[in-house]
Amino acid sequence: MGLGRVLEPAKMAAPMASSARCLWRLGAGVRRTLQPLPGLTQVRWSRYDINYKEPQLNKDYYLKPLEKLTEEEKFERDLRTTQIFKAPPPSKTSSLFEDPVISKFINMMMKGGNKVLARSLMTETLELLKRKQFQKYHEATAEQRESIECNPYTIFHQALQNCQPVLGLVSILKGGRFYQVPAPLTEKRRSFLAMKWMILECREKKPRRMLMPEKLSHELLEAFHNQGPVVKKKHELHKMAEANRAFAHYRWW
Amino acid sequence: MMLRKVIRLISKSHKLDPGRLLHVNIRASQSIAVGLDAQIPGEKSRAISRTQESDPAKHEEQHLSQHYNIPLEEVKTIFPHGFPPRFGMQVKTFNEACLMVREPALELLHYLKNTNFANPAIRYVLYGEKGTGKTLTLCHAVHFCAKQDWLILHVPDAHSWMKNCPDLLQSTYNKERYDQPVKASTWLKNFKTSNEQFLNQIKIQQKYIWNKRDSIEEGRPLGEVVEQGLTRVRNASDAVGIVMKELKRQSSSGSFRLLVAVDGVNALWGKTTLKKEDKSLHGGAIVMSLSQTGSLFKPRVAYLPQDLLGKEGFDDLDPFVPIQVYNYTPKEFESCIQYYLENRWLQHEKAHTEEGKKELLFLSNSNPWQLERLCAYL
Repeated sequence: MGLGRVLEPAKMAAPMASSARCLWRLGAGVRRTLQPLPGLTQVRWSRYDINYKEPQLNKDYYLKPLEKLTEEEKFERDLRTTQIFKAPPPSKTSSLFEDPVISKFINMMMKGGNKVLARSLMTETLELLKRKQFQKYHEATAEQRESIECNPYTIFHQALQNCQPVLGLVSILKGGRFYQVPAPLTEKRRSFLAMKWMILECREKKPRRMLMPEKLSHELLEAFHNQGPVVKKKHELHKMAEANRAFAHYRWW
Repeated sequence: MMLRKVIRLISKSHKLDPGRLLHVNIRASQSIAVGLDAQIPGEKSRAISRTQESDPAKHEEQHLSQHYNIPLEEVKTIFPHGFPPRFGMQVKTFNEACLMVREPALELLHYLKNTNFANPAIRYVLYGEKGTGKTLTLCHAVHFCAKQDWLILHVPDAHSWMKNCPDLLQSTYNKERYDQPVKASTWLKNFKTSNEQFLNQIKIQQKYIWNKRDSIEEGRPLGEVVEQGLTRVRNASDAVGIVMKELKRQSSSGSFRLLVAVDGVNALWGKTTLKKEDKSLHGGAIVMSLSQTGSLFKPRVAYLPQDLLGKEGFDDLDPFVPIQVYNYTPKEFESCIQYYLENRWLQHEKAHTEEGKKELLFLSNSNPWQLERLCAYL
């Protein structure tokens, strides 16, 4: 059940499904023109209406002693006793070791709803990363030891950061032709592209008998050092955007 | 007016009643005491997880829940078969083999120290739930016996002898049995590495005929049997059988002490029975551990000897001394976490905090196997 981003709250009751669907097919450039227009909602809907609030999963919020709360926070706490809340999804926990980026990556790796397998692949990748780095650490000299990063989480985050493109290309229809126009991307889109490229790279370009954790850990390490095929793809996208710089004026947002 | 004053007095006295004051004082003093103690365990715990005593013979109760280091050269000679796979990976990553001294191990070592070698060998069976540390306790006992110069007959995993054999040959010696040449030859190689000095001393007492051309006379050292088994892979399992028979026969003479350590002994009474267990062993000890992980056709929660061995196995092994291996106690858990922290294995920032430790305790339920798997990716 996705979150329905209703543009005009409490005005549009039923989403206009068919018209929105044929508008979707026209492409990103056209969609963005229609976005600020009133009277249109998104097609996705959810079982929760506007009154349901997001749940608070952070344990620190509740462990704060009563004396340290400000007036606002006390008011908020009292308000929460009467509000209705959405149920948190099973993948979200109040665990200390939870990471939203890693959860997203696991969801993207998942095939056919097999979350158990996807999660185990992720944990094996993290373990392999750690073991590889430890091996390097033990073989290195004293000066090099400080530069070797052994934390698999920092390697993972840094590698994905290095793979994120700054600009993307958008198809814009002008004068009967579609042009590839360089445009800024939102943070969400950038991280999505980085993760998608990483997973596709590891699925398609590996030798037959090599397992996913091995290949993923190898690619993550290379991306951490700004090398490897995924970072190369990002650079190619930047070059294309640079080449199409002349069409930048076709963008109106 | 008077009544109001009285009521106010009563309410105030109720607030200031001495029991409550005492309670507050006790709490304050307790918190001070806890504050003082909180500093000392922090420093002690760094010392708790390791100990310098690397000789298992001298492990006493004060060394409980501490890790002791086995030098890597000894590891190669005493454990040529290798450790269980995950522990082997840990040894390779940390470049050191550290075992924790735990109560079941100490109990077993105590029994082994006090064995009377004139009596028939006592059988000890290590049992417990999945992942509590039976195999590593067995390794601890093997290390102790190796240091004491016993002859060690170590079978690392009896399940691998029973199932998934790609190559089976019908035995020439006994028509009903099947042989596994490859496994037998690897086992002989490892047996040779671990017991070098004994192979020349022991002499075989019976003539064995390999085939029409080769035969071994009496009085030759056991090393030659092993060599024969290694060079001729087809007769390797026969060589294994001969080795076991000879050792059994000669251990009663008292020239050396024999330890038979078998892991996953419940495999021997499983679907295919390739060997028979017998009671005629004198002058040594037999240590066995059950293992649910590799056993076929048994439910997952079964961990008691009776469930895993089956009636036949239980009768064969009876009488034995059962030793149960438990999950970690809080002290052992703390020590394990300290060991990982010292080796920089727990890299996640939150894992160093108190809440992180509590969460690990909860998630693993103090089970060593589960804890090890959790800490691997944190």
